[in-house]
Amino acid sequence: MADSTSRPVRKIEGQKTKLGRTMHTIIYDPVNDEISVPQDFAHAIMTFRGDADGEATPIRIIQGPQTMLNGPERHTVDWVNNELYVPQGNEILVFNRLDNGNVAPKRIFKGPDTKLGADAMAVDTLNNLLVVVGPYEREGLKIRMYPRTAEGNIKPLRQVGGPKSMIKRLGGPFALFPPKGRIIMTMRPAEAGVLGGDDSFTGIWSVFDDGDIPPHWTIGGPRGELIMPRGVALDEKNKNIIVTDKRLNAILTYHFPEIF
Amino acid sequence: MRNKKLKTPLGAWLAGGSLGLIAASLLFMSGIPSRHLINASEAALRKPAGVAQLIAAESLPAENSPMCEWLPASAAVSWSASLQQSPGADSDDAAAEREAIRRRPPLRVIKDQYASYSAVAVDPVRDEVIMSDESLFQILVYDRLTNTPPQASMSEPKRMIGGLDTKVDYICGLYIDPGSGDIYAINNDTVDTMVIFDRDAKGNVPPTRELYTPHGTYGIAVHEADAELFLTIQHDSAVVVFNKSAVKDDPPLRYLQGENTKLADPHGIALDQKRGLVYVANFGSVHYHDENLDNPSRPMYSRGEGKPNWPLTRNAAVPGSGRFYPPSITVYDKNAKGNTPPLRMIHGPKANLDWPTGLAYDPVDNELFVTNDMRDEVAVFDGDASGDVAPKRVLHGPKTMIKNPTGVWVDRQNNELWVASFGNYTATVFPLNASGDVAPKRVVRSGPLGRSALMIGNPHPVAYDSKREQILVPN
Repeated sequence: MADSTSRPVRKIEGQKTKLGRTMHTIIYDPVNDEISVPQDFAHAIMTFRGDADGEATPIRIIQGPQTMLNGPERHTVDWVNNELYVPQGNEILVFNRLDNGNVAPKRIFKGPDTKLGADAMAVDTLNNLLVVVGPYEREGLKIRMYPRTAEGNIKPLRQVGGPKSMIKRLGGPFALFPPKGRIIMTMRPAEAGVLGGDDSFTGIWSVFDDGDIPPHWTIGGPRGELIMPRGVALDEKNKNIIVTDKRLNAILTYHFPEIF
Repeated sequence: MRNKKLKTPLGAWLAGGSLGLIAASLLFMSGIPSRHLINASEAALRKPAGVAQLIAAESLPAENSPMCEWLPASAAVSWSASLQQSPGADSDDAAAEREAIRRRPPLRVIKDQYASYSAVAVDPVRDEVIMSDESLFQILVYDRLTNTPPQASMSEPKRMIGGLDTKVDYICGLYIDPGSGDIYAINNDTVDTMVIFDRDAKGNVPPTRELYTPHGTYGIAVHEADAELFLTIQHDSAVVVFNKSAVKDDPPLRYLQGENTKLADPHGIALDQKRGLVYVANFGSVHYHDENLDNPSRPMYSRGEGKPNWPLTRNAAVPGSGRFYPPSITVYDKNAKGNTPPLRMIHGPKANLDWPTGLAYDPVDNELFVTNDMRDEVAVFDGDASGDVAPKRVLHGPKTMIKNPTGVWVDRQNNELWVASFGNYTATVFPLNASGDVAPKRVVRSGPLGRSALMIGNPHPVAYDSKREQILVPN
């Protein structure tokens, strides 16, 4: 229920945390009560206890030459099948969730048929899908769906993109609501290089969409409140979505029962 | 448990009685167990009470039994289609609903209403102090002798620079040209541009000059005699040196980068102008590069394409080369370039560094001032310190009002030390030799006294901790 009068409940910070800039995902694993983040500068994925506070140390760190991690900005965790995914442009590295130290990925998803431009991703364990967002060569930004256990050079099952889709410039990491097949994702201003623009929005697509499909719903632009939205999280219990906006420097909570 | 209820208004009961007789005949002939028939009979004979009556109850299957089966993704399209709206075939009502949702305001907004100081610089010639604000994206100019009274919620700045035209975003470093009073401000990792304003600029005005920088600039220092501008680069652990008057696509003069340099997530930078030394504060995270690599899926930031003396960037990163080192202060000759080791380092348990963020150097007393963000303190080292040495003195404690300090400035002309605290809307002024838990000479505040800042800075991802009902936001 935090608003502008609130102060942080707890802060994980300081030298011992090994945190760094460019944490472009944060994953809360509700089954194992853990928080994980990427460490771009140190080529690492770090996991903390769910109740971490202050100068907490990570309980696991995936890092080292065998990991093949290369400036990881984003990752995701599949707590059903105990796997951890790291999208790295034209490849996705898959680790065991409990991996620690200098370990090689258990499988790698990569190849020209994949059309991977893996900027951000999420795992839908209910519908057995990997949902990956990013640009591939000159095709522009697209959502691509693959089998959850994809390995090697696999074609996407479906892809969503094109002018009607309104998928132009990815805001940040996105969220899924598998029971309804929802993809909840932000789009930053269409014009590159601007600090903010009121055409930004949060859109809802489906993992079953295929082709140049418009978003099922949007919140925001044109002439909306969001100007540089980034990440999204879901509060399923209260049927809310939570959106960060870099230029507003704010966290906004919207009631959005329609998607749940 | 689910209850089966039946409303029985009088008319319905009469009709139900006749039909019940017919139904009873059919049931007796169908071999249905007698208990069920008795239940049915009792229901049929029940008299209306004017309120709902419980006429039967049965248990649902246990919770771990399947209530309904989820279909796999490979199921028929008709099922998946049933979960979706059909955006291309909206009725007028559906279109109106979608438009209402598009315009839906947020339930709640977490946003700081006050400016949070991230960097500070003093213009002793014109008696002004300049602060950058990473909360509301501004550069704020105050009279140098401003002193916010305890009962006031804040001090009004003389001038403010802010707005989309200014390209002022997450300004983490400031420098004031002692001759002209021009304001040099560096954006961290969102604009890749240093902006320079005339000293009297105000409002939403374009910068007077711009310089395109490598990604992730943090600290700034200028060697006035040689007219050289030094910037630290967090993301690729480098120091780049430009001509002070460089604009737009002018390339750097040289850069310092590589494993030997011990640069690791560098932040603050300070110069000993007289001896030609560069001090750099390092958080400790680093990876390395190979100039022979060029990873097409991680293209270099476009600012550097084709430019000489541009530090190696993410396209040349060596996979798996990341390291965590302890925090440090590294010291170099100002003309050092390439993969040159530091002349010396300050690091170790006695140095007690913890997210060393801001640096300032006092040439008169040969002292180096380091803000330890996590310790709410300014540690002062001898300018010649080396190895695992303790600071000469530490400015720390509740009286100092220092909270998450990220900026520090030595005003030698007025023998004052300025500290910008990102954690409590406060900039504090001390004598240069202040030590321990002492009250500041003056305080400039942008928010209420004693109130902690939200410290939101560049929120990007977000997660929801459903166990604790908390929102997790890295900055």
